[in-house]
Amino acid sequence: MADERTPLGANPGHAGETGEFAHLSEADVRGSAYVGRRPLEGGDHGGVCSYPYQLPNRQPDAPLFEGPYAKRLERIRSRYPDRRGPLLPVLNLAQEVRGQLTPDALTRVAEVLDLAPAVVRGVASFYTMYNTRPVGRFLIQVCTNVSCNLCGGDEVAAAFLGHTDTEPGEISADGLFTVIEAECLGACGFPVAVQINDRYFENVTPADVPGILERLSAEARATGGDTG
Amino acid sequence: METLTCTINGTRVEVPKGTRIIEAAEQAGIGIAHYCYHPALSAPAMCRMCLVQVEGAPKLVPACVTQVAEGQVILTESEPAREARRGTLEFYLANHPLDCPVCDKSGECKLQDFVHAEGRRHGRSIEPKRVLGQDDFGGDILYDGDRCIMCTRCVRFTREISQSDRLGVVQRGNGSVIDTFFDHGVEGDPFAGNIVDICPVGALLSKDFLHKARVWDLDNTPSVCPNCSQGCNVRLDTRDNTVVRLRPRLNPDVNSYWMCDYGRHTYEWLNATERTDAPRVREADGESVVTGWQPAVVRLVERLRASAPASFILIGSPMLSNEDNGFVLRLAKAIGAGEAVYRSARAGAEVVCPGFPGLARRRDLAANGRGLQALGFHRTGNDEGAGGLPETAGHVLIVLGETLADAEPDFGSDAALFIAFAHQNSSVLRNADYVFPVPSFAASEGTVTNHEGRVQRIWPALRPPAQARPAWQVAGTLLAGLNAGTAPVDVARAFLGLADVSEVFAGLSYEMLGSRGALLREHAMVGSGRNR
Amino acid sequence: MAYPFRDERETRILSAHFGDPQARTLDGWQKRGGYGALRKALEMGPARVVDEVKNSSLRGRGGAGFPTGLKWTFMPKDDSRQPHYLLINADESEPGAFKDRELCRWTPHQLIEGALIGALAIRAQHVYIYVRGEFFEPAQIIGKAIEEAYAAGIAGPDVMGSGIGIDVTLHLGAGAYICGEETALMNSLEGRRGQPRIKPPFPAAVGAFGQPTTINNVETLCAVPHIIERGADWYRSMGTEKSAGTKLFNMSGHLIRRGNYEFPLGFNLKELIYDVCGGIRDGRRLKAVIPGGSSVPILSAGEIDIALDYESVARAGSMLGTASVIVMDDATSMVKQVRRIVEFYAHESCGQCTPCREGTTWMAKILRRIEAGDGRPEDLETLVDLSRNMTGTTICVLSDSAAAPVLSSLRKFRGEYEALLQRDEPVLATA
Repeated sequence: MADERTPLGANPGHAGETGEFAHLSEADVRGSAYVGRRPLEGGDHGGVCSYPYQLPNRQPDAPLFEGPYAKRLERIRSRYPDRRGPLLPVLNLAQEVRGQLTPDALTRVAEVLDLAPAVVRGVASFYTMYNTRPVGRFLIQVCTNVSCNLCGGDEVAAAFLGHTDTEPGEISADGLFTVIEAECLGACGFPVAVQINDRYFENVTPADVPGILERLSAEARATGGDTG
Repeated sequence: METLTCTINGTRVEVPKGTRIIEAAEQAGIGIAHYCYHPALSAPAMCRMCLVQVEGAPKLVPACVTQVAEGQVILTESEPAREARRGTLEFYLANHPLDCPVCDKSGECKLQDFVHAEGRRHGRSIEPKRVLGQDDFGGDILYDGDRCIMCTRCVRFTREISQSDRLGVVQRGNGSVIDTFFDHGVEGDPFAGNIVDICPVGALLSKDFLHKARVWDLDNTPSVCPNCSQGCNVRLDTRDNTVVRLRPRLNPDVNSYWMCDYGRHTYEWLNATERTDAPRVREADGESVVTGWQPAVVRLVERLRASAPASFILIGSPMLSNEDNGFVLRLAKAIGAGEAVYRSARAGAEVVCPGFPGLARRRDLAANGRGLQALGFHRTGNDEGAGGLPETAGHVLIVLGETLADAEPDFGSDAALFIAFAHQNSSVLRNADYVFPVPSFAASEGTVTNHEGRVQRIWPALRPPAQARPAWQVAGTLLAGLNAGTAPVDVARAFLGLADVSEVFAGLSYEMLGSRGALLREHAMVGSGRNR
Repeated sequence: MAYPFRDERETRILSAHFGDPQARTLDGWQKRGGYGALRKALEMGPARVVDEVKNSSLRGRGGAGFPTGLKWTFMPKDDSRQPHYLLINADESEPGAFKDRELCRWTPHQLIEGALIGALAIRAQHVYIYVRGEFFEPAQIIGKAIEEAYAAGIAGPDVMGSGIGIDVTLHLGAGAYICGEETALMNSLEGRRGQPRIKPPFPAAVGAFGQPTTINNVETLCAVPHIIERGADWYRSMGTEKSAGTKLFNMSGHLIRRGNYEFPLGFNLKELIYDVCGGIRDGRRLKAVIPGGSSVPILSAGEIDIALDYESVARAGSMLGTASVIVMDDATSMVKQVRRIVEFYAHESCGQCTPCREGTTWMAKILRRIEAGDGRPEDLETLVDLSRNMTGTTICVLSDSAAAPVLSSLRKFRGEYEALLQRDEPVLATA
């Protein structure tokens, strides 16, 4: 697939600007030009759900649901007819601030929504995207399901693990990366698909991995913020 | 009420509309194997054990949630249904550890039962089993995640019945496990012990019962919990003449399938030692001498005949039956006139079961307070069940069942005559002129009356000392000796005889009580209000 | 046009604006003819909208293929006593499927317009768009589109001045394939574990928050504005009699030109693979095709000369499902791929039903053992038997989906399994 692939290092943007649409920019494909910067207080109306922003600064002990988060909490609550409906978006809010859902975070969510803590724990533990352990600054999820597997998913996962020198689920020594295998990410036409925090990287080959990691490291350096 | 007719395994069954197949089958005497279904809980239809074949339906249907339709032909033993059960049982055994030799549930385990009845001879899994580990849920409950079959009865119990919301399913798929909120545990849920009963396998265990006895070594006897006035129907599990466990027994009008932890765990006192084991008579020199029944009874009758009518103090026991207390009261009234009292402990508040509000751990911490009131006793003493002892000087003092542990050592020594019907020795009883050994609560057959006036039968789970005789029988004999009544020949007739003590008991009989009890006639209630 | 490759033979209706960044905006969508259908639907009224969609023979595109218009008629005909909900299933997680993501990120207003028309038809006051949590970028795009719609008075208390109020809310999932099942989706929306519910009761009677609810797939609703605009007869003129309209085919695997292509239903699978997608990469030959996403039986290379519509694929022994075509070349180890697929189901099983909770993991363990060269002859019979016990015995069909690739691969590629059984030393199979 060499003619479809962007040359190594030229633009490891990997947003799927490919095939007959290679002329599109990354912003075009991701739609980032259209959405612009999303306000952390949440947008208006139905778009107020909690996007899983991966904030650069995660504070494991920060208070939850204060300041702009209090406003977002109320906006989210207003979209559901009962007090249990907002649970998934509110768990997202808690994870956004702290980077993971500790027992204390779950207790706080239970308090604020007036639900039993055991119920909240049961729900949070069901879904894979709620982190119960800390993860690196960049959570790298490599799809190894069948469509990507046929096109080298296992090799890309191994490449990420090798280049970050981690075991699956571990945080790298510099605190930047955690690599895990993921199930189908819904980008099967662009194997291998890799989700890194809130972005998809498509058409990834093992050869692209160092470039991607370098881009991420550069981003981390540029935006500062804590790791892990 | 609209009824429908269906056919289950060739048997025609008529049921009200809305009946589920599993209920209709039970009505027809056909059991359908199940785990997650429980009559008192919501039915999630997730264990897939109860799949049955319905003619005309493309797939097997779960009997626990599928409602009967008119003319439905249901087959629970057809090849597809049996094959499905066989398959499902094999799935359970893929990861269930073969812990039977060390598991408490062995002998009353539904997985054992169904696999033995219908499972494959050999499970085909040779894979390593998933390991989820054990957890202490706090209180009396231990959880073994490896044995858990994920029926979620325990979770639904804490959501629907005890409503403590302590338990939940954590993780998903084959890694699913039951857990509380980290180390919150189930302590503080006053009905948590019930989840051990409803767990079909040995995943939830009682620490109190852990490795105590094999269930096939146990006898079990239906009775009523003696620890408060709710009157939960129970089974006393005994081994070697010792009560080792209390379990609730279904009574839809009293306690459903449940009982509270306080009652469940307060059974050691039923195994008190130091039993009064022989009749004793106090001689002139103050020595208390063991005698035979006949000499003791004859001597007492002679003494009573020789005396003029006297005043009596009768201290009864709310931990003994209506028959015992009633006949001793009749005896007292044959002797003269006087006061009949009892003492019982009281708690500060009720503990109500939110999902079945008719069930509560009542304030009155004794089984038969209401029965005694109906007979004509009144409560004395404080909320610890002590104090309130009347003056005995010059009276005939009759004590039934009480050890009087809080009394002065010389209590009763100034009585004109002190008769004790006792099942436990104590220092005060040494002052008695006549001591007659009677069975304790757990060794008695009779009835007790709960807070709402429901009279329920109890059966003997323990053997009393060989010389013990029921108090109603001794009192009846003494009455006969005084020509003041007929001695009942059995406890059923003793119960009928209670009508002579208090007309509140008139019109009831053991046939009417059955195994679930019956209410006293409301208009004839006596006693100082509804003391719970 | 399809993304990322165009083919002149395509019938580009839903995908007409893929790759066109301007089509995302409200302005861009309106310039391309958007929201005319909504206006027309408001004039038609709910009953006529339902009739039009019924007559179009549109079938649900989420895999089940249930007639959409018929599904809409299950809703109560008046909303005076209970709120009605329309839920949009954008939880695309089926391995091989990537069409809903493209629809969401290139034409969010197409989805919103279809959703509002659908809400109108079933008298729903509230639309929830359930997007899987991993689709962060498409979700942001939809969120922004929702805001544009509200600002323009298209969504909200007074849709296009009609006096009808329809609210739209974006709700993100959190990583569970099973939430794509409609009753599990409702549970997840309600803030519960995403476990499927028993039916009856059906969603149209008791659904989200206990109220009458309809769940529709993204691609289904994206077709609705076009049906309203151009009519049921026009839509039925494409495709086959029982499978009307166009479909986005998700082409993945060992093809030269992977991507989404939009063709009328009934297009030939062999033509799609060889002519449109350029055939097998690296000069290899075709070995196997999964025509409808990992949940459907596998077809061998000799079975691909079939029309891609619901009936024809069923006659060939498989299912059209989401039309997610996964193509495997002759260097593929079927055992490895089936193992990976079964591991996926084991990971995603919600754990309620015993056959699924235990069976998926058990089968995954057996397949891993076989792949490592440690398989025994009886394992193959065990796999068949377990698959049969996992089919038709559970609350939802995830269990059946895990069994389908196992049964079909054992039937058609048994030699590969047996070859692994015969090795004495453990060998890792290569892809």
